[in-house]
Amino acid sequence: MIRRYKYIYNALLCGAGVLGLLSFQSCTKLDEEVFSEVLEKDFKPSERDLPFIVSPVYASFRSLMFGWQGYFDLQEESADHIITPVRPNGWDDGGTYRRMHQHTWNAVQWQPYNTWQQAYSSITKANMVIMQIEEKSLPLPDEVAQAAIAELRAARALAYYLLLDNHGNVPIVTDYRNVALPNQKTRKEVYDFVVKELDEIIPLLSHDVAPMYGRMNVWAAKTLLAKVYLNAEVYTGIAQWDKVIAVTDEIIQSNAFRLDNEYKNIFSAVNESSPEIIFSVPYDEVYGHGNQLHMKTLSPLSRLVYSMSAGPWGGNCAVPQFIDTYDPDDQRFYDSWVQGAQYNATTGVEVINYVKEVPGIGGDGTIASDNAGFRIGKYAIKKGATSNLDNDYPMFRYADVLMMKAEALLRLGRENEAALLVSEVRARSFKSNPEKAIVTGIDLLKGSVYNYGWQEKDGTIKGENGGADIKFGRFLDELGWEFAAEARRRQDIIRFNVFQKKSWFNHRPHENAQTRILFPIPNDERNKNPNLKQNPGY
Amino acid sequence: MKRVIMLLLLWCNISLSLFAQESLVLKGRVSGPTGEAIVGATLSLEGRKEKSSSGPGGTFSLSYKKGDALHVSSLGYVTYRVVLNGQVSLDIHLQQSSEALDEVVVVGYGTQKKGEVTSSIASVKSEDFTKGAVKDAGQLIQGKVAGLRISTPSGDPGESTQVSLRGLNSINGSQDPLVIIDGIPGDLSTVAPEDIESVDVLKDGSAAAIYGTRATAGVILVTTRRNTATESRTTIEYNGYASLQTLFRKPEMMGAGDYRRLIADGIPYQDLGSETDWVDEVTRNPLSHNHNISLFGGNSRTNFTGSINYRNWEGIFLKSGQERLNIRANLNHDMFDGKLKTNVQLISRNTKSNNGGSSPYMWRQAIIRNPTDQIYNENGKWQERDAYFYDNPLGMIYETIDDNIFRETRLSGSLDYRPIKGLSLKMLLSRVQNNDLSGNATTFDHINTTKNNLNGTASRNTRSSVQNLTELTANYTATFDNHKIDVLGGYSWQDDTFDQFYAYNFDFPTDDYTYNKLEAGMALQRGLAEMTSYKENRKLIGFFARLSYNYKEKYMVLASIRREGSSTFGANNKWGSFPAISLGWDIAKEDFVKDITAFNQLKLRAGFGVTGTIASASYMSQTSYNFERVQGAYINGRWVPGFVPTRNFNPDLRWERKNEYNVGLDFSLFDNRVYGSFDYYTRRVKDLLYQFNVPSPPYLYSSMMLNAGEMSNMGFEALVNVNALRKGDFKWKTGLTVATNKNKLINLSNKQFDVTVPFFEAGYTGEPIQMSTHRVEVGRPVGDFYVWKTVGVDDNGKWLVENQEGKTIPISEATLDDRQYYGNGIPDVNVGWNNNFNYKQVDFSFSFRGSFGHQVLNMSRMYYENPINKAYNVLKTAYDPVYGKTLTNDLVYVSHYIENADFMKLDNVTLGYTFKPNTIKGIQKFRVYASGLNLLTITGYKGLDPEAASYRGDFTFAPGIEHRDRYPTTRTFTMGLNVTF
Repeated sequence: MIRRYKYIYNALLCGAGVLGLLSFQSCTKLDEEVFSEVLEKDFKPSERDLPFIVSPVYASFRSLMFGWQGYFDLQEESADHIITPVRPNGWDDGGTYRRMHQHTWNAVQWQPYNTWQQAYSSITKANMVIMQIEEKSLPLPDEVAQAAIAELRAARALAYYLLLDNHGNVPIVTDYRNVALPNQKTRKEVYDFVVKELDEIIPLLSHDVAPMYGRMNVWAAKTLLAKVYLNAEVYTGIAQWDKVIAVTDEIIQSNAFRLDNEYKNIFSAVNESSPEIIFSVPYDEVYGHGNQLHMKTLSPLSRLVYSMSAGPWGGNCAVPQFIDTYDPDDQRFYDSWVQGAQYNATTGVEVINYVKEVPGIGGDGTIASDNAGFRIGKYAIKKGATSNLDNDYPMFRYADVLMMKAEALLRLGRENEAALLVSEVRARSFKSNPEKAIVTGIDLLKGSVYNYGWQEKDGTIKGENGGADIKFGRFLDELGWEFAAEARRRQDIIRFNVFQKKSWFNHRPHENAQTRILFPIPNDERNKNPNLKQNPGY
Repeated sequence: MKRVIMLLLLWCNISLSLFAQESLVLKGRVSGPTGEAIVGATLSLEGRKEKSSSGPGGTFSLSYKKGDALHVSSLGYVTYRVVLNGQVSLDIHLQQSSEALDEVVVVGYGTQKKGEVTSSIASVKSEDFTKGAVKDAGQLIQGKVAGLRISTPSGDPGESTQVSLRGLNSINGSQDPLVIIDGIPGDLSTVAPEDIESVDVLKDGSAAAIYGTRATAGVILVTTRRNTATESRTTIEYNGYASLQTLFRKPEMMGAGDYRRLIADGIPYQDLGSETDWVDEVTRNPLSHNHNISLFGGNSRTNFTGSINYRNWEGIFLKSGQERLNIRANLNHDMFDGKLKTNVQLISRNTKSNNGGSSPYMWRQAIIRNPTDQIYNENGKWQERDAYFYDNPLGMIYETIDDNIFRETRLSGSLDYRPIKGLSLKMLLSRVQNNDLSGNATTFDHINTTKNNLNGTASRNTRSSVQNLTELTANYTATFDNHKIDVLGGYSWQDDTFDQFYAYNFDFPTDDYTYNKLEAGMALQRGLAEMTSYKENRKLIGFFARLSYNYKEKYMVLASIRREGSSTFGANNKWGSFPAISLGWDIAKEDFVKDITAFNQLKLRAGFGVTGTIASASYMSQTSYNFERVQGAYINGRWVPGFVPTRNFNPDLRWERKNEYNVGLDFSLFDNRVYGSFDYYTRRVKDLLYQFNVPSPPYLYSSMMLNAGEMSNMGFEALVNVNALRKGDFKWKTGLTVATNKNKLINLSNKQFDVTVPFFEAGYTGEPIQMSTHRVEVGRPVGDFYVWKTVGVDDNGKWLVENQEGKTIPISEATLDDRQYYGNGIPDVNVGWNNNFNYKQVDFSFSFRGSFGHQVLNMSRMYYENPINKAYNVLKTAYDPVYGKTLTNDLVYVSHYIENADFMKLDNVTLGYTFKPNTIKGIQKFRVYASGLNLLTITGYKGLDPEAASYRGDFTFAPGIEHRDRYPTTRTFTMGLNVTF
């Protein structure tokens, strides 16, 4: 028996020996070797790296604006210009476009959530870079640091403005290190925050125009401030028309910008050269993907018209009632919408004829044919386009500054001064008939020519109540013609009470319309952060 | 005292015999149950040292003394004992040992006798494998292991089976079992099915815990065929078959006649004047063949096993298929009187495919294409039409080049030093290298160019990986008196490196280059070409120990622990410990049941074990950044990439841990005529790795990888084998496996975040419906469909659905909140029933397999059983009334298309005939057979195949979707022969 135990003893000894041998450091070392990522400890940034570090703050605006079911859809499909009807190749998508049109969205609707996510992505990245600069992990000379922080705060204010406008009651986070669940602020508090931020940084921001293209300079910040004041009554209940005039005057008097002679140049593939653009979200076919408006709007057949290297999806189009408001001499009608017969670029054969009429949004079995509705053509589609356009999105442009001032003047009873500005903006669009460019103060006091009402399948308008009763309706029409398909119609028609009161196409005023002015706080975010209370009415 | 007397008596007996007897010569032959020769069987006489083995033809010759007891043993057969009383010739028939308690089971770093096993391990030997044109090791054991669900959702020859053990056990970790081929990690297709001796499955935690972090999804141990002869032996085996495939079921789409009839009825279809059956045009009945040659040779000290396997499988889609060459060489050599055993093994695997454009999306195009359209236009080019997502499927097939070459070399060597009896010190070294190279191109006649003006596209993609493994083990086994002890200690070091490179270009001056001159494309200069490269490394280090002890094979205990570390986890949590213990008690060996002869074995087992799940990717815990083009912007007049955090950082990432309790009973009754096992398990996975949604703000990304969940699975498994008839010429063996599983997500929460995620949505219908299909909710099982429940159709042909208050509303008024749970895609019960018959030279087997208690979303009906879109073809049933009305609704995802998918399949039928040995001179064994796979399905499901639902990748949390874009399943008929020289 003793012998056997000895065997075991030997065996264990041998085993232990082997294990002991292996307990050396190298045999238990588990550090990760990293090849395709940059480790924080290996990256020693300097001023040279600033562009790389700042650019993600702006990158979010690309997917925010023209991304799939992004901000563009959020602003346009909830308003009276653009719809995505059910078509032979689909576009029911669980009713999401119908809900946008009929204001029946709820807290799981994707479009508002997408805006939330992208806006906060930009905010958090801005917070991160501000922290890196302040903590000197990104060491910069003092002047550079100050300018960079001011710019980042301006970009962050822009993102907060989008949240202020769409979701209203949102949390304000400015400290990257603090990952505690943030508290919700009221819409008024968010408004105050944005105004205060802009007031503080405007003196520190760059006055450069061309070098700061696509970035927040002082003019972009001032235009943003004017926008916030323009909508102050909606946001806070207190109008700030005088402040709109004051800020817009500063921009106008700077002579840094002027109206482009050609309306379509503002939206062309090389629109970065337009003298009118104050702030844009740059897109590029190669570097800055995301402008896919043409993909969503064009019929697959239009591929042949533009010799495209991608097949468009064939979705959204203009509301016929809006198309009916245009003056046929208004060049913007032709520059904004793809309409009528379209011809094959190589053979010259007609491939599709876009008609104005659209039978309905769908959901009731109505299917809009492939050629139903005029398509968004404002952002000129070049021959040989890929699925990404080069055209930058002009978020703030000089015409808007003039129109903001005009609106403030109009609302303060200075309609004749307003009319001068409106006429100035119209002038380039009525070159064939310059007299039509002139509007008077009396014109601006009229109602809208938009024939508001429910559209039947055959195109007749039922229960029509028109637009004559809309206060300053004519001015709203001017905004519509000038800024069609510029991802802003929702905000404008809220200010003119159309969003809440009017029917158009297959939309009737929501029974609880006042609550639709704000989108719901996304359910997903409320699930993650119990501090967030839902907006009223959801 | 009693023992001493016994020993004395025994000694007297032997002594007496020794003196009393003269030497005799015995000649004979060893054969198996069907009379086939067994070469290399070991023959030994009790109490003697020398051994001999059977030679060619199973013949042997040995000398003995009267009264000697002869033992004849061979792996896979019951040891035969006979007392020799003066015979000079003897034919020995060995019984196959699948029912035997002495059968050896592979347990990971060693083997155990089946009678001593205390955990839940299933072992399938080659004679019980599925016969015929088998894809991989998974299909070999399909329906034969209770609790291991194996499905073949795709008919693509290049696709492997999908395997899941005891339900779904991870969210972001691997769902695939760890597959070990002769001790080295691999996968189910590493070796050819013909080259496999046995497959052992470690099912419960107590068995699998020795593999620590990789073991939660189970461990499958594949043992390749070895030369086990102890004497000189040279055998050559040839196995070959040819097989024919047909579509398992053809979708019933409308034909040209149907179109014309409907047009006459005023329905606005387009008559394009021709007649084409697109499904027929894109499919074929492919012929495949497979050849396998195995060679066994050598002597008692040095032996060799080699095999060459060539397989050429064509797919049911035109141009699809795979050619494969597997070569294996295994060399063993003993030195120093057997004290040092060496082994070298080389496995080489090469596959090649030239697939053209046969893809699941092509299948969709064949199905929706207008049957009155023509294949070619008047210019002899592919007839294309300008519609959305509507392309000529034949153009796709013939104008696409999709080539792939995969090469793998596995080289391993081991030294096994046995300085004293019972002690083995082993070192195993291995290196597995593989390289996967693809080339893809489209010609000028492909829609990429004819429609999208890309002027030819081409890409190359290459991936390679190297895995180095070092394992050192020390094993000591001792038996004394009634005690048996087995101790194992070991160390394992594994290092994996993975590289990838991809390049894509288009706008070529010619399509002649295909993918062989990527630089000729001009898209590179235009900035539209694509390129990626990537490298990853991970290390896994483990220390392990195991102790097993049994007393008289009556009381048994096994305990093991693995301490393992992985580089993929956070700095503070790299290491984890994975203990296990299991106990066994064979009641049949107790005195109080000894008299009940019906019980040969009645072993109660109970085990507990902790296992982990490996992270699916490296670097998830790293604080790192990347330069990303999508995060770039236009800064200072030029575009720059953006520098962003790679993820929300989580340096605390740690192992998923699964605790599992298993109780079981192994039984063998009535002289081992009825045997099998029952198991009940309950497993709970904690610290599930989950891409947890975190609030944004304040986090940059709206999710981060966290240990944030718990999931449980419980189930019952039964395996019952009956040797219904085992005497005489007619033999019948039948086996039944039944497994149930109940899965539940217990929570999704993390202490760091004071919130619980109530659910997440999964699955996607695809265009144009664009909705998620499933919802995974805490407190419910994974696999629940979440959908609008249809209750009728209104007079206008629109769906009526049930809203959240239970009221019937038109679907146009339904909100996303009105969706509800409706069925589950994972079966509650899986059943397998296997039968083998032998009558003289004839063998016949068939097996049924079924799944019950689950639903499948019939996507084909969802998209094609609705007449709304006249631009695409639909099923013949599309115009059938639904709830008595004709449907005019848009395509929607509703419960109407979720069907009960219970099925029973006649899975495998094989009829074989084995010629008597030496019917043809020099041929020891000659067998011909015919076999069928996936022959018949009994189901109420209306789709093509209720089993054609994937459970992997995108479908892990959206199981039970028979996707419209897929490679349809097939029925296979095989003729084959096995020859042994």
